Amino acid sequence: MRRIFVYIISSLLLCLVVSTTYAQKKKQIAIPTDSTRWMNGFTVHLDVASLVMSSMLNNETYSTEGGIQLDLKHKFFPTFEIGVAGANKVSTDNIGYKTNGMFERIGVDFNLRKKKKDSKPTNNLFTAGLRIGMSNFKYNLTNVVIPYNYWGGSEIKNYSETPTKIWYEIVVGVQVEVLKNFYMGWSIRDKNLISSEFSGESAPWFIPGFGINNGTNWGFNYTIGYHFWPQKKVLKNNKTLLIQQKNN
Amino acid sequence: MKKYIFILFIVSLFFNASCVTDETCIQSKYVKLTAGFYQTTLNDSTKIISTTQTGFDSITVQGMKLDTLTGAYHLVDSILYNNNKLKLGSINLPLNNFAFQSKFKLTLNTKVDTLTIYHQHFNDYLSLECGCIVTHSIDTVTVTKHFIDSVQIRIHDVNALNVENIRLYYNYLTFHKPISN
Repeated sequence: MRRIFVYIISSLLLCLVVSTTYAQKKKQIAIPTDSTRWMNGFTVHLDVASLVMSSMLNNETYSTEGGIQLDLKHKFFPTFEIGVAGANKVSTDNIGYKTNGMFERIGVDFNLRKKKKDSKPTNNLFTAGLRIGMSNFKYNLTNVVIPYNYWGGSEIKNYSETPTKIWYEIVVGVQVEVLKNFYMGWSIRDKNLISSEFSGESAPWFIPGFGINNGTNWGFNYTIGYHFWPQKKVLKNNKTLLIQQKNN
Repeated sequence: MKKYIFILFIVSLFFNASCVTDETCIQSKYVKLTAGFYQTTLNDSTKIISTTQTGFDSITVQGMKLDTLTGAYHLVDSILYNNNKLKLGSINLPLNNFAFQSKFKLTLNTKVDTLTIYHQHFNDYLSLECGCIVTHSIDTVTVTKHFIDSVQIRIHDVNALNVENIRLYYNYLTFHKPISN
């Protein structure tokens, strides 16, 4: 119950941040991207939600991740994400699970926002996309008791395995330019393991980048990013043209 | 548009909160061999042997454990079925997790038989919540034929699924034949 309260409060705080960013956005003069150009720079972002949630919800798991996203024609956004995650949990039967590992995701987002006529130019995005995620990680299971039964006796087993797991994610999200070149956004992810079978003697409880191993999982990211413009001169010219058009 | 995005954001957060995993084990960890008792009857006119699953008025089942020092088998203190009335005609027997054979003393009324099951065992990890179970695979089954005539292995794998693994056949007349001195 306490966890749910913490979650609701943190959610409301995040909502407040989002609404503030929308309010701030109104005051901005957006520098429009050129939808005719293939390369419109790239955004480097860090996920804040994974950092906050792992510390607020439970201390059993942690995750840190960031990524880079290219802007192609302001329609396609090839994305590469990398992170590190882990878990340290003891079950009610005193079985210990420990893991630390890196994960990578590669995929593409598509901008679903259609540009309306006479609308103000904006860099804000409403995206949907796909990711393929992969993690090669080592985990340890300790104190697994082979149960006592009618015949008496018991045995304690420990497992240590290094599997590689691959999954895909369906991602829907929003990105808003809150300050010049600074972006904030969130995304929800439906994660599905491509193969839920494990070749070893045991199965991991937590997969870095995927989360708790239930076959399917949900994820939430809240990102802060900075957009780099390798073609600054072109943009400056665009801005000058816009101002001239406005004056005319 | 912004409103919808904002609503979606809220819904997604609460949906995520509702997906907190339950830490209780919901899988069955009950691994026991099921043995069914079948009565064989010969139809004199058609000469066809028919089988019927039957219960007993009284059955006592107790495990027999090998004493590694003496090499002899002795009865396990705990009794699995103690003079029980068997309505459904089947019993559940736990196999030894740390040996390759499990021996049971079966007492039906006054008749006693020893059932020996030779098996392999496998550690089957379920999950962090459920831990580990031990499943078995039956190799062979032998029985002292005092009242049971024959044994048939139906399903070799003994796991958490409640299925009939072996059948024990007995002849009604043999079973009810009075003990002669």
